[in-house]
Formats: sequence, C-alpha cells, structure tokens
Amino acid sequence: MANDGSGIGASLLRKEDERHLHGRGEFVSDIKLPGMMDVAFVRSPHAHARIRSISVPPEARGRVFTAADLPRIKPIRITVHAAGAKTPAWPPLAIDKARYVGEAIAACIAPSRGEAEDLANSVEVDFEVLDAVVDAPRDMNGSRHLIHEQWGDNLYVERVVEGGDIEAAARAAEITVRREFRMQRQSGAPLEGRAVLAYRDHRLDEVVVYASTQTPHTLRVALGEFLDVEARCIRVVAPDVGGGFGPKARLYPEEIILAALALGLDHPVRWVEDRGEHLLTSAHTRDHHYKVTAYADRQGRILGVDTEIVVDAGAYGLWPQGPYQEAAMAARNLPGPYTIANYRARHYTVATNKTPLGPYRGVGRPGACFAIERMIDEVARAAGRDPVEVRAENMVPSAQMPFTTVGGMRLDNGDYPQSVRLCAELLDLPATRARQRKGEPDGRLVGIGFAAFAEQTAHGAAEFVARGAAVIPGFESCTARILPDGSVVLMVGIQSHGQGLETTLSQIAAHELGIDPAHISVRHGDTESTAFGFGTFASRSMVMSGGAVARASRMLRDKLCRIGAHLLQCDPAQVRCADGAVLGPQGSVAIAEIARVAHLRMDGLPPGVDPLLDATATYEPAIGTGVFSYATHGAVVAVDPETGFIELLDFAVAEDCGTMVNPMIVEGQIRGGVVQGIGTALYEEIPYDETGQPLAGTLADYLLPGAAEMPAIKIAHLHTPAAATEYGMKGMGEGGAVAPPAAIANAVRDALAGIGAEVNETPITPRRVLAALQKAREAAANR
Amino acid sequence: MTTIRLRINGNVVADEVPARLSLADFLRERRNLTGTHLGCEHGVCGACTVLVDGEPARSCLMVAVACDDRTVETIEGFAGDPVMAALRRNFHQHHALQCGFCTPAMLITACDLIRRGRAGSEREIREGLAGNICRCTGYTNIVTAITEAAKEIAREVRHGQ
Repeated sequence: MANDGSGIGASLLRKEDERHLHGRGEFVSDIKLPGMMDVAFVRSPHAHARIRSISVPPEARGRVFTAADLPRIKPIRITVHAAGAKTPAWPPLAIDKARYVGEAIAACIAPSRGEAEDLANSVEVDFEVLDAVVDAPRDMNGSRHLIHEQWGDNLYVERVVEGGDIEAAARAAEITVRREFRMQRQSGAPLEGRAVLAYRDHRLDEVVVYASTQTPHTLRVALGEFLDVEARCIRVVAPDVGGGFGPKARLYPEEIILAALALGLDHPVRWVEDRGEHLLTSAHTRDHHYKVTAYADRQGRILGVDTEIVVDAGAYGLWPQGPYQEAAMAARNLPGPYTIANYRARHYTVATNKTPLGPYRGVGRPGACFAIERMIDEVARAAGRDPVEVRAENMVPSAQMPFTTVGGMRLDNGDYPQSVRLCAELLDLPATRARQRKGEPDGRLVGIGFAAFAEQTAHGAAEFVARGAAVIPGFESCTARILPDGSVVLMVGIQSHGQGLETTLSQIAAHELGIDPAHISVRHGDTESTAFGFGTFASRSMVMSGGAVARASRMLRDKLCRIGAHLLQCDPAQVRCADGAVLGPQGSVAIAEIARVAHLRMDGLPPGVDPLLDATATYEPAIGTGVFSYATHGAVVAVDPETGFIELLDFAVAEDCGTMVNPMIVEGQIRGGVVQGIGTALYEEIPYDETGQPLAGTLADYLLPGAAEMPAIKIAHLHTPAAATEYGMKGMGEGGAVAPPAAIANAVRDALAGIGAEVNETPITPRRVLAALQKAREAAANR
Repeated sequence: MTTIRLRINGNVVADEVPARLSLADFLRERRNLTGTHLGCEHGVCGACTVLVDGEPARSCLMVAVACDDRTVETIEGFAGDPVMAALRRNFHQHHALQCGFCTPAMLITACDLIRRGRAGSEREIREGLAGNICRCTGYTNIVTAITEAAKEIAREVRHGQ
C-alpha cells in the first residue's frame, strides 16, 4: 500500500493540468483531418409545423442531405419497460413534421462552417405552421393540439408514488401549509458545446466517431442500432470533453447523422455546435411544476406530504432512458432526508413543443429539494420555530439507519442533523442573525436560509430495474495492465468530462499496487482500448470505476506477489507490494523486474503462472440501491427591496461523501456544483413564448454565473464511510447543484419575511422579487 | 481575399484570408493554434481571449484582416514569461481548472490583470474575471491561484530590483 501521500486520501495534484495549462488539450473541434468538411444544419424555425416540401437549389445538390438522402438511418426509439409509458419515434432528420424550434431537417456540407451555413440558408422548407403546445399543466390532458397524433393526449406517462396514509395525516394535522413551486427550464451549458467528427477507416473497416460525449460505449451501441452497423465496425472516441454535466450523457440526432454521412462519403465530416445551437438543441433541463400540501403537528413535525408534480419534457425522449426519469426521481426524492411517514406524489411527464429534456447535474432532485425544503421552512414559520431546529428534528436519525424513506430511498448511513448544525456554524449563525436584526445601512434586507438533501449515488442494477429503465448502468469496468518496464496503464470504460479521473483512478491503483501514480496512465473515452462501460453520470464514476480499478489492481497485485515470492524464494503469503517493489521477509524485487520476467523472461515465472500482467474486472457496489451522500447548504443574502437585486453574502456547505480519495478534487466538485446551483437559483432560464419560440438564444439572454457575483464557498466535511463500496466511497459529483436553489429561496424568504413576500419560482430574478413584493404590499393594503 | 502579415507568438506569419474569417478561426484552422477555444462566438464567455498588441481581445469578434501588422499572443506563446509561469504553477497547485476549456483564456486574462496591477484583492480579481466564464470550478480556486501568483510576482519584482 502506498503511504507516501499519493494514495487514497491524498490531495494529489492533477495529471490533467499540464496539457490544458499550455493549450494542448485535445477537444473534438481541435482535431483536423485531411479533406475534412464542416457540417451545418437546416433547423426548424417553428415549434410545431408540418413539412410540406424541402427544396434544395440545383447547385447545392449532393451537398445537402435530408432524411430521404440517408435512408439507412432508423428513427430513435426507446425501449420502455415501464407499463403505460408512451415512447415516440424520433427521426434524426425530421420527415413530415417538426416538433420543436431547432429540430434538424437537413445536413449541409462545405469546406468551412461558414460556407456550410451559407448552404443551409439556401435550402427552402415549405412549412404548414401548427399551434404549439407550450403550457404543460394546461395542455397535458386535453389539448386541441397533439404533438404525437396517435397518442390522443400529450402525456408521456403519469404515476403515483405513495406510502402510509395521507388522508389520516391530513386529519391529524395541526398545521397545514400549501404552496406552488416552479423551477424553470434551463440549459446545461458546458463551456464546450457538443461536437462530432466522423470518418471511415478503410483499413480497419470502421466508422470512427469522435464525439464530445460522456458515454462513448453506449453511443456505440446506439449508432449500431440506429444505423444497422455491427459494433465491431464502429469506434467512438471522446477525447478531452469541455464539461458535460449530464446533457452529453444522451444520444443526439447529430451523432447519428454525422456517422451516416461518414459511411457514405469519401472524406471526414465535422459538426461543431455553436452556442445558439446548444441553447436550442442540447438537452434542456429542470422545468418542474409542484403543488404541495404539508401536514404537521404544532411543533412542526411533518406528518405527511401530498404533492402533484408536472414535468415539461419537450417533444421527444432522449435515448437511452427517455423523458421519464426527471419526474420519477423528483417524486421519489421529494421526502428527502426526512422521516415523513405519509406521502402521495402524483407525477406527470408531459410532451410539449420544446427541446427534449435530459439530465443535468442533480437530475430531478434540485426541483424536489426546492419543494420540500421550502415547505420545511414554511412549516417552521407556521409553528413559530427556527427552521434550523425543525429541519434537524424531522431528519432521519443515525440510529434508525439504514432507513427506507416513504419515497423508497434506502438511506444507508450518516449524521444528517449534524450537517445542519455544522452548516449553521460555518455561517456563524448568531453573528449573522445579529447583523440581520441590526439592518443594513443601505436599506437592504438580510436573510439566511438552509436546505438539506440526501443524494442517491452510484446506484446499481437494483435501482435501474426498479425504475423500469431501458438500459441498466449497474457496473463499470477496468483493464489494468503492467507493461514490460513496470509502468501501468488503466483502461477504463468510464469517461472523464473534466472531473480529474486520470488522477483519482491512478491514486486507487497506486494504493493497491504500491506504484507511484506518476508511473500510472489512465485511458478512458475510447471504445477501441477499453472494455465496455456506461460513462460518467449519476455521481457514479469514482465509486463504480474506482471499484473496478481496485479489483483489477488487486488481481495484478496477487500475480505480482506470486511471481515476486518465487523470485525471492519465499511463500506468496510472506510478501506485499509497496514502494514499487514486492517486499519479502528478506529482500525485495522491483515490480519493473517482475514485469520484465512476466513479459521478456518467462523462464523466471513460477510453475503454473502464465505470462503477462493484465487483468480485467467489473464492479458493482454491494448494494444496488445506491449509497447516499448528504449535505446541508446555507446561504446568506442581501435583498434590495427597491431593485429586487440579490447579493449572495455568504454560502456554506457541510457535507458527507464518505471516504474521499482526493479531498482537493472533492471540494472542487462541490464548489463547481454549488455555482451551477446558484445559476439555477438566480440567473439561468430559457423562457418560451406562446408560439413555442425560445427566448434565450445567446449568453446575453441566458446568464451564466460569473466570478464577480459569486461568493467564496465555505466547506466542512463529515466522514461516514459507506459500508457497501470500496474504501467507503460515496459519489458526490452532483450534490453541489441540488440544494442552492432551495437554500437561496429560503434565505430570500427570510429576508422578506417582514414584508410577507416570498418567491417560489427559480430563477429568483429581480423582476420576480419585485413582483412578490408588490403582491405582498397589495395583500397588506387589502387587509 | 486579403493578404495579412502579423506576428503570432513571436513568429511573423503571412496568409491570404477572406474578409469574414475571424481571428479565432484563423488561429485555430489556419495556424493550428487550438488552445484558443470557442465557447460562444458572440463575445460573452471569453474562452477565445488572446492578446492583440498586448491587450486582451475576443478573437471570436475580431476579424483576421484587422490583425494585419499587429502582434498576437496565444496560450501557446508566453515562452519565458514569468507572470504566465507563476499563473500556470498556481493554477495547478490550487486546482483552478477542471475540464480545461476556459483555462487558456482565463490564464491570459489573469496575466493581463497582474501585469496591469489589477490583481490586488479578491474583489478586484473577481471583477477582472467578469468577462471569462468558467462552468466547472465555481471560481474560488481560480481567484486563489491568481492571488498567489500575483504575490509571487510581487516578491520576485522586489527581490529582483
């Protein structure tokens, strides 16, 4: 085992940094191949329209490709295992109807993107414009306008999650609180958009597809399925990926179309999404509507929650999981880290003429957390008590764990109330309350808010089977290989979209093999060199891929020890791996020497031991329902009642993700997630008008958090190792983004409590704050 | 087509360019300097920031023909520059990058802030970074790295005089 500050628990500096610091990273759009042509798309300018005809100017023939020109492409279709769920077929290039603004209709190729865009502008499409469905709660059952005519309504699926007796809770309630909440539609907006480069490798009889994706292996599966090509003839490579955050964990029409073009043309083709296309066509996210009733006793102990959740999922379902998981996860996670015994959540996933909804950091849970955490505060207010205390009292105590929530989540371990107390300490609650009471010299109103969550991470087969998922991402893989000189290559089925897996996975192998991480390479993102894996999403990478690396490394370690013991002429039980060598009772042998024997001098191998140092392992955690990291986030805001402007004065996170492999990287993930959550809370929104036109097409309309308005984020850790994973790790990639909308909304509520105003919709823009103030003043005047 | 001559990272380059070719596309597609990244192509995200005649410029909003007879510095340059060296060291040390897409431009903006003496406080640095979006880090570590690099440079200047 490595004890030199580079193994598990060490804040090892990242291997990835060097190339990026010199501009030598390799993103898809950085790759140039001889003869390469750029692709631009003709896209629907209408939200809902029949396509009567597509006319291509004679001089553009052969350079413009419609669905009719690419007959090998099959419609994208999701295999749904959940009863009653509807699944539309989605032709990657629209055929007779366009169902959202931005839907691809034709692909145009030219030597540069500018010329390809000129070509796209020369194509004329004759549309018959139809009325658009844009209001999910209004149009989900009866609308004159059907997006998928054969359905009879605009509903993908409706379900109920329930437990206990909600009617009994209603009868017993001393406090009843009702609220409606809204989390608006937004974009994932990684700084690098999507990009695809595809070409034919005739020597290997492959179509090679470079894509900015989080899931190269499943992309290969999809390309095989929708292009009818054997997987052996498809290679997918995700090189450096400039952030993904979820939207890049889905199949897109452009990936299929580029691969189809490459199969039919004699030159490479490249498509690089611009920002307008990203905001228009990469998966949108959130877009939740909640109606919630909470029943509590007079102390604020929550007896039951009754809720209706409507998710506006857009026009199609993204492969592989479709549109279903957003609402389902919100419904199952809404009871959060609480002991709520009686629960009913009716949830509806609705088709609208908008961009398809997909995963984004937190998936379903930022909305659920927003709803329940705002309710906790309102219940506390109704009880006349401090939300900090009411929150902690309603939490599942350690002694009751493992505890299965009424939503069906098996919370494994941890001290939830302690995270609330620790977070309050980070914000120096007494001093902040004193500042609040004293008032700001400039008239701004200070508020403090908290929000907690327990986040299901690294869930295995049991969870995805329960969801009725089309694909069961229950494991990851690693091939660990020691080369003849003793250096190590880890070939992993996972993919890193920037979170530092080249560093952290090498730390795990270093821990198991006693080899310095400097001598360990991590290869990921290439179907050619790695065994199958699902990719990076669901806060699973470190637990799943790290587990696979641990297992494969141990298989190698056992073999190193057998060969080493033979060379040292002792029993394998007497040796161990450390400091780059196998150490015996007397003397040691370098791993480099063992590697030489295993490859170049097999006469030194013990009888019955095969040459090579090469092991492939898969890993699924011992519990398939996930291990739960948890946190409490706290926000301090100053609200200007004249302008509605909100300044974040302070933000703190007290969290527990079990054993941290690299605390520096963990804290980087938390801070990055929190700032994305602040974006959801305060800035990011893609509104649509009544005709289905999206109103945020540039970064001047779609506001991303910048350095100037972000606070430094304080972090404290609790440490409760998971029992079911290697080393006690829990996933934590998404959690940072889950609670900020709720914590900030609670802080704004706290600031405006004296006026009686509250904002229950994100983003909490100045306009919405002013509207809430106006409403509260009018209500006060009418009293 | 217009012929331009300019100095890029110390080397004089001449090329024929169409009038609408942006400086960013010229650098990336014609000169293979792919460390200059395109995040929005409308001047908001800052990922394409380079130095033109020593001043930060959005290479996505500038056309290549406007750079005739000028000096451009991209992340592939800065050889021997002590400020850039300190920034690179501190970005690594303080985990100020994740996916790396905003990093080259973030370094160039930071380099300009330090050179102009505008990296003296957290507030000043944060405001100086207002034109560079990072979607991964949440900025805290970037601000720390720039703060520490600025201190190092200040120390070097004191000791060097």
